[in-house]
Amino acid sequence: MERGLSAQDQQFRQEMREFFTTQIPQEIRAKAHTGEELTKDDIATTHRLLHAAGMAVPAWPVEWGGKDWSNRQRYLWFDELQLAGVPAPLAFNANMIGPVLATFASEEMKARFLPPTAALDIWWCQGFSEPEAGSDLASLRTTAVRDGDEYVVNGQKTWTTLGQYADWIFALVRTDPAAPKPQQGISMLLIEMTSPGVTVRPIQLIDGGHEVNEVFFDNVRVPADNLVGEENHGWDYAKFLLGNERVGVAPVGWIKRKLADVKAHAAQVAEGEGTLLDDPLLAARIAELECDLAALELTVLRVAANSHHGKPDPASSILKLRGSQIQQDVLELMVDVAGPASLAWEPGDDTPDWARRSAPVYLNFRKASIYGGSNEVQRSVISSGILGLKG
Amino acid sequence: MFDAKLWRALAEMGTLGLPFPEEAGGMGAGPVEVMIVASELGRAGVRSPYAETMVAGTLLGDDALLGSLCDGSALVVPALTEPGRAWSPLPVGVVLSGGAASGVRAPVPYAAAADHVVTTARAGDSTAILAVDAPVSSTLDLAGKAIRVLAEDGEATVRRAINLGILALGAEALGAMDTALALTVDYLKTRKQFGVPLARFQTLTQRAADMYTSVELTRSVVYFAAMSLAADPDDEVAIARLKVSAGKAGRHVGQEAVQLHGGIGVTAEYAVSHLLARLTAIEHTYGDARYHLARLARRVGDYGALDLMA
Repeated sequence: MERGLSAQDQQFRQEMREFFTTQIPQEIRAKAHTGEELTKDDIATTHRLLHAAGMAVPAWPVEWGGKDWSNRQRYLWFDELQLAGVPAPLAFNANMIGPVLATFASEEMKARFLPPTAALDIWWCQGFSEPEAGSDLASLRTTAVRDGDEYVVNGQKTWTTLGQYADWIFALVRTDPAAPKPQQGISMLLIEMTSPGVTVRPIQLIDGGHEVNEVFFDNVRVPADNLVGEENHGWDYAKFLLGNERVGVAPVGWIKRKLADVKAHAAQVAEGEGTLLDDPLLAARIAELECDLAALELTVLRVAANSHHGKPDPASSILKLRGSQIQQDVLELMVDVAGPASLAWEPGDDTPDWARRSAPVYLNFRKASIYGGSNEVQRSVISSGILGLKG
Repeated sequence: MFDAKLWRALAEMGTLGLPFPEEAGGMGAGPVEVMIVASELGRAGVRSPYAETMVAGTLLGDDALLGSLCDGSALVVPALTEPGRAWSPLPVGVVLSGGAASGVRAPVPYAAAADHVVTTARAGDSTAILAVDAPVSSTLDLAGKAIRVLAEDGEATVRRAINLGILALGAEALGAMDTALALTVDYLKTRKQFGVPLARFQTLTQRAADMYTSVELTRSVVYFAAMSLAADPDDEVAIARLKVSAGKAGRHVGQEAVQLHGGIGVTAEYAVSHLLARLTAIEHTYGDARYHLARLARRVGDYGALDLMA
C-alpha cells in the first residue's frame, strides 16, 4: 500500500473516467445520480455498453471475459464507474452467479451460461430468501425432488430483486431433507423463469417502488443438467457468493459522489443570509462523514492488497457493515439538506429532482443494512469467525 | 510516572532519534518507522513521553540539544498548552518581546523528569521557538526565565512537529486499542456467569464486533497518515482525519473494553483501565476530535468528492 497512484494507475484512472463520462448516456447517468428508478432498458443498455468495452465483468477469469487487472486497477474501475453515476453491471450476473459458475460449474455449464451471463443475454435473479428463511437461510424449505432426468421444484422465494425482468433464477433448494445438518441438504439449481409453474408477484416497497418480488414454484420441472456443481453442496456455493457480495458491496465511489452532491446542494439551499453549507453543524457532519468514508476506503484498499488467491483478508467482513452504515448516513444527510423540499415526492412542481428523490432513496436504502446478510449477521460473522467468540 | 531505565533502553534501540538526521545523532528514518514504534508502545501499554519526544525533537531543529534527546541523555519535552485556554497549536498568551518571554505554559508533560522544555511564543506576527530549563512543577511561568531562541519564525516547524506528534499518538492509540480488544475478547471467552462463558451472550459479542470494526478502520487511517507524512510532512488534513478517527475510536473501544469487563474493568489492578486512561489522555493531546473536526469542517466547501489518491 502506497500513498498516491503510480503514473500507470493514474493513466488507467483517466481512461476509466474518460470512458464512463463520454460513452455511457448522460440521461441514464443523471437518472441513476438522482436516484430515479431505472428502467430495464437503462440497466441493459449500460451493461451492454460496458460489456462491449470489456468492462462488465473484469473480476472474472480472463478466459470468460475478465481482465488481467491489478487489485488497484479493479478498484479504480469501480470507483470511477460510481463517481460518474454509471449504474453498475447487473450484480446478479456480474458479482453473484457468474463467479459461482466460473468456480464450481462443469465446463459444459460454464460454456453454456457464462458468455450470455457476461453479455446480459440472460438476466439473472437470486432465489435465496424465503418467507421463513431470512437470516437463517439454511432453514429454507423449497424442495427439489429428483424424477428421472428432472427435478420437481415446489416452494416460495422472496425479496427477489428485479425478478420481474429476469430470464433465469439461481435458486437454493432442499434436495436432502434427511441430511444431518440443514446446510448439508441444499443444492443450487438454475431455473428458467418461463418454466410452467413459476409465478412472480410484486412487493411494493417503503418508497412506493417495485424492486423486489415473491417467486412461487408449483411443480416446476427443471432439467437435472441445471444443477450447479454437486448435489447437496449448494450451501458452499451460497457462502462463496455471499462472501463475494460482502467484499464487493462497499459502495465507496457511490458514497463519495453522494457526499459531493450533499455539499453542492447545501451550497444552493439558502439559510439566513447565506446557505446551509455555512452552518458549522452541517459542515461538521459532512466532515465527519468524510473521515468515516476515508477510513472505509483505506480499509477497502488495505484489504484488497492483503487478499491472497481469493482468500479475503478477515477485515473484509467489516466492509459490508460499515459500507451500508455510511451509505445510509449520507442519504439521511441528503434528506436533511433537502429539508422541507424533501416533502415533495411527486414531480410537477419547482422542487429539484435531487430533493424530490431524497426521502424515497433514503427510505429505500434502509435495505442496505438488511440485504446480503444483515448487519447483525455481519457482526456475528466477525465475533465468531474472527474473534473466536463462540457461545 | 517516568521510567528512566525504560527510557535508556528505548534510546539504546535508537527509537528516540528515529526520524531525525543521522548527523544530529538520529537514525534518519521517517514517519512510518515512528508509527511502528509508537504502535508497539501502545500495544504493550508502555507509558512514555514518546510522542512528546517526536514533537520536541522536531522543534529543536538543528540545535545541539537534539543529540542529547536522541541518545536519551536529556529528556526534552514540549510545552504547548496554556492554562485556561482550549488547544491551540500556536501561542496566544505567551509572548516574546525585547529578548524576554512572558506568559504561562501548563500543564507541562513529564515536567518533574524533564531536563529541558521547548515552547513557543508569539513574536509580532511570527511564532518563535524557545528552549528553557525544565520547571520543577508542571506550570512553567516564563516571566524572568532565561531563554534561548531556537527560531524566530518557526510556525511551519511547529505545525510539522505537531503532525509528527499526532501520528505517534494515533499509532499508540491503535496499539492500545488492539490490546484492549484482545483483553476483552479473552475475558468474554473465559469469564463465566449464569454457568456459561460471557461469549454466549450476543448482546456482548455484537459489541465486541463493533470494537473490532473501530480498530480495523483506525489501523487503515494510521497507516495512511504515516504514508502521508512520509510524502509530505506538512499534510495537516491526513493528520486531522487521523486525530478525529483515533479520537472517536479510542473513546468507543476504551469505554466498551471497560464495560464488557464489568467491575474488574474499573480497577487499577487490571490493565484495561489503564488503556482507557491512556486513550483519554491521547484524545486530549494536540487537539481532540472536536478541534480537528471543526478545522476539517471549515474547508469542506473547497472541494467536491473526497480524493485520497490525488
